[in-house]
Amino acid sequence: MFDFRIVTTWFDELLRVTCGLSNFWTILIECVVVGLAILLAYALLAIVLIFMERKVCAYFQCRIGPVRVGWWGTLQVFADVLKMLIKEIFAVDKADKLLYYLAPFLVIIASVGTFSFLPWNKGANILDFNVGIFLVTAISSIGVLGIFLAGWGSNNKYSVLSAMRGAVQMISYELSLGLCLISAVILTGTMQISGIVDAQTGPWQWLIVQGHVPAILAFLVFCIAGNAEANRGPFDLAEAESELTAGYHTEYSGMGFGFYYLAEYLNLFVVSGIATTVFLGGWAPLNIGIEGFDAVMNYIPGIVWFLGKTFVVVFLLMWIKWTFPRLRIDQILKLEWKYLMPLSLVILVLMTVCVAFGWTFTING
Amino acid sequence: MEEKKQSYFGEVGSALKTLATGMKVTMKEYFTPKSTEQYPENRETTLHVAKRHRGRLVFKRDENEDYKCTACTMCEKACPNGTIKIASEMVTNPETGKKKKQLLDYEYDLGDCMFCELCVNACNFDAIEFTNDFENAVFDRSKLILHLDKEIYKGGSLPKLIEGGADWKVGTFNTKKK
Amino acid sequence: MKLENKEFGFDSFATEMARLKNEKHFDYLVTVVGEDFGTEEGLGCIYILENTSTHERCSVKQLAKKVGEEFVIPSVIKLWADADLLEREVYDFYGIKFLGHPDMRRLFLRNDFKGYPLRKDYDMDPAKNMYTTEDDVELDTTTEWNLDKNGELVGTQHALFTDDNFVVNIGPQHPSTHGVLRLQTVLDGETVTNIYPHLGYIHRGIEKLCEQFTYPQTLALTDRMNYLSAMMNRHALVGVIEEGMGIELSERILYIRTIMDELQRIDNHLLYTACCAQDLGALTAFLYGMRDREHVLNVMEETTGGRLIQNYYRIGGLQADIDPNFVSNVKELCKYLRPMIQEYVDVFGDNVITHQRFEGVGVMDEKDCISYGVTGPAGRASGWKNDVRKYHPYAMYDKVNFEEITLTNGDSMDRYFCHIKEIYQSLNIIEQLIDNIPEGEFYIKQKPIIKVPEGQWYFSVEGASGEFGAYLDSRGDKTAYRLKFRPMGLTLVGAMDKMLRGQKIADLVTTGAALDFVIPDIDR
Repeated sequence: MFDFRIVTTWFDELLRVTCGLSNFWTILIECVVVGLAILLAYALLAIVLIFMERKVCAYFQCRIGPVRVGWWGTLQVFADVLKMLIKEIFAVDKADKLLYYLAPFLVIIASVGTFSFLPWNKGANILDFNVGIFLVTAISSIGVLGIFLAGWGSNNKYSVLSAMRGAVQMISYELSLGLCLISAVILTGTMQISGIVDAQTGPWQWLIVQGHVPAILAFLVFCIAGNAEANRGPFDLAEAESELTAGYHTEYSGMGFGFYYLAEYLNLFVVSGIATTVFLGGWAPLNIGIEGFDAVMNYIPGIVWFLGKTFVVVFLLMWIKWTFPRLRIDQILKLEWKYLMPLSLVILVLMTVCVAFGWTFTING
Repeated sequence: MEEKKQSYFGEVGSALKTLATGMKVTMKEYFTPKSTEQYPENRETTLHVAKRHRGRLVFKRDENEDYKCTACTMCEKACPNGTIKIASEMVTNPETGKKKKQLLDYEYDLGDCMFCELCVNACNFDAIEFTNDFENAVFDRSKLILHLDKEIYKGGSLPKLIEGGADWKVGTFNTKKK
Repeated sequence: MKLENKEFGFDSFATEMARLKNEKHFDYLVTVVGEDFGTEEGLGCIYILENTSTHERCSVKQLAKKVGEEFVIPSVIKLWADADLLEREVYDFYGIKFLGHPDMRRLFLRNDFKGYPLRKDYDMDPAKNMYTTEDDVELDTTTEWNLDKNGELVGTQHALFTDDNFVVNIGPQHPSTHGVLRLQTVLDGETVTNIYPHLGYIHRGIEKLCEQFTYPQTLALTDRMNYLSAMMNRHALVGVIEEGMGIELSERILYIRTIMDELQRIDNHLLYTACCAQDLGALTAFLYGMRDREHVLNVMEETTGGRLIQNYYRIGGLQADIDPNFVSNVKELCKYLRPMIQEYVDVFGDNVITHQRFEGVGVMDEKDCISYGVTGPAGRASGWKNDVRKYHPYAMYDKVNFEEITLTNGDSMDRYFCHIKEIYQSLNIIEQLIDNIPEGEFYIKQKPIIKVPEGQWYFSVEGASGEFGAYLDSRGDKTAYRLKFRPMGLTLVGAMDKMLRGQKIADLVTTGAALDFVIPDIDR
């Protein structure tokens, strides 16, 4: 398996030894390069995801989606992005200007922040703390603030209703989300993302297999709660296009709206990415204990594994979104507090019991 | 719907079953033929427009390209919108000496027309009809004012479509371009 | 139905109407027709009533009493709740003030409109009827009119809102009002406390236009009211004119009209079930409905030449004979549709989320449905047997076997399933008729100028979302003296306030979706 650390070490050596830069400059340049890489990947993935969403939803709906711009509509999203970039951004009369302009940035910060935690390949973790998982949930909570401030600052009654819905929903679902992550932490014994993935390498070591029943349940709950956290259907009632026109971002135009749009798709990716990391082994290839097969699988780069698994989860979430009608706010809360929360607690207990008694499929003990 | 008393878990189970049914249907539809028709690529190939579709009004012409309109203005009177304006003069036939109305101008404003077919119903001479020519978009409103007696209509932009175009079957869509 | 009006006189009107309702069981007020009867009789109203147990109908004519410059009639709002909007409509167009009606505001026209346009002496000079570009006046209060002891007209002001009300306008531009309807909604948090409907954003004055058009010309307008019931709308109008003229139609015409009406009903119900899904955020189910509706429209278009504006019935028959492939196409369509309807139910109707969203939402019991005039599938969902096809049969409906769908809960879920089941019934009707269309004339030739003898008629059909009626008062001319349509949606919108009090704002969208109204039909 290719270890990305070779590349990073070489680059570090290049700056320090070959160019002879001081510690400060080395780290500064590395940070800038990594930051640019994140933003580039972020933008490109958003475009890919938007295109994917449009095609997938079209196919579910017996349509063929965009086909006019570029071959098979591939340039459609670029055209849309261009359109969005050249649109004027203007605030509504009597809007709270500071909050109004601040809100999209908060959403983007939360989204980019969580995005940076994803493990792309062996040795290619951008942010890798010993409390990684914990920090992910903390940073993702900033997004709630963005949504709430946007609704409040817009001076629009629909937006206020939507902001309150969004805040209530996202805060509630963070509980299940957190509990599911904790059960994974119990199983792996670490909160560090690279550690969690490392624990899943080897034959039949993906957490979803390793932790069997409680892990599968935790994965499903995580998908539901993650969907709600990303504000996507059937939990998209903060947007609730048929009720509140566009909810909290009704009054945004141009890139103000563009940020929300980007963040929505990237949050989808981040949720899927974390689900992949924690339950489906991240970049860990599919190993079944037969040497030849495992060797072939190991030959496929980790980033392909990671993106492949993530997009499978993304497709699953899109499938759910384009099948079901939207819930009502009290039903969403009922689902969380009456069904998902107790279930995640049960999963937590079950997982602890399994780990304590060693009823897991682990090879390293 | 009978009132069913279900346990907490029974409720969850049957709920999940309905959700699974829904997802099964959408997955099935994911692979069924799509319904998007490829206009304008298909306009000369697989496009079908019903023969009776009311696209615009035209004069019926015989083989000598003569029209039958006698300028009796029945259509003009029947029109609820004042879409049709007919100008005529009295001409004396030099041989018989009889006076006869002669059509000077038959002005039809496509932009005002609401396609109710009352003019066709009112016509006693079978002189006008609607065709299924639907490509009527122009860049200027004034171009919508047509003079039916001055033009010889040969089927507009899609002459092959006048009889309905490509075949069509209930339950399917002509999604191909060719 | 040729109208034979009862007349009670101004003083005994209120008590006699109460007797009709309470003792004779005429508990469904079909419509209130305002009319300017001419210089001798002046303004007045015609009330059409139905006895819901025997389905007998009667009509009452009441002339307005002149008090000073004003015309007044006692309100019947306490007897029939749907009189609320119906009387406001009459006030709007004729300026008759209904005594005791708590909310005498204009309904369709702007608040700053001067005059009453359907009065025969209204000045139609275009220069005096220019459309204003000013903002409309927003009213916070409304007036109730009563006669005091001396017979003078006195007004009492009622406030529409209190100071701490949170008012949200749903519409006139809103994705789920299906057109330009404005529901001024008073909220307490997310709970609805009151709904004031504001209508008329797409009011085109069709009834006024009809008074200047010849009879064939009036037909051109009906398709444009409820465009999803285009066939039925026109069926009502040609029906009332043909009844007035006493035209005997051939069997072939009746067969084709019945089939077309049912195809149109399927078209409407497919769009309805699709839109229910869309309003709940299930866009995929919406597109499945739209896809299959295309096939229905294709079949109709081959014969009628129209998809939305069908333009098919005319006085004395049909615009054209059926297309040569019509019979085979319709049979194939029926075969195609049955499994598809199951698909909508699978993907949306039986879904647990849909049940959660629809059940117990917008509930109205049978008694209220009758009082509020909630006809059609929405009323039948609460068990009210009101199918015009069954109880006042027209065309072939008394010869075919079909079941009148009635359910019991009266909530949005039952309204949805009522529509679903009616699609199956419509398919049954079509399948009974399609193979047996008799030979004959498709059009009975009429005189070039159509005149209807003197008299008043009311003819109603079962539109896709309720009873659609046409009232015709003819004075023997080639134009109608008064032509009034009973729209399907007006009473539905009037009932929304009652249905939604105490429910969530999200339920407003759901209830609106499940009620099935089309705005151009309400506004006319």
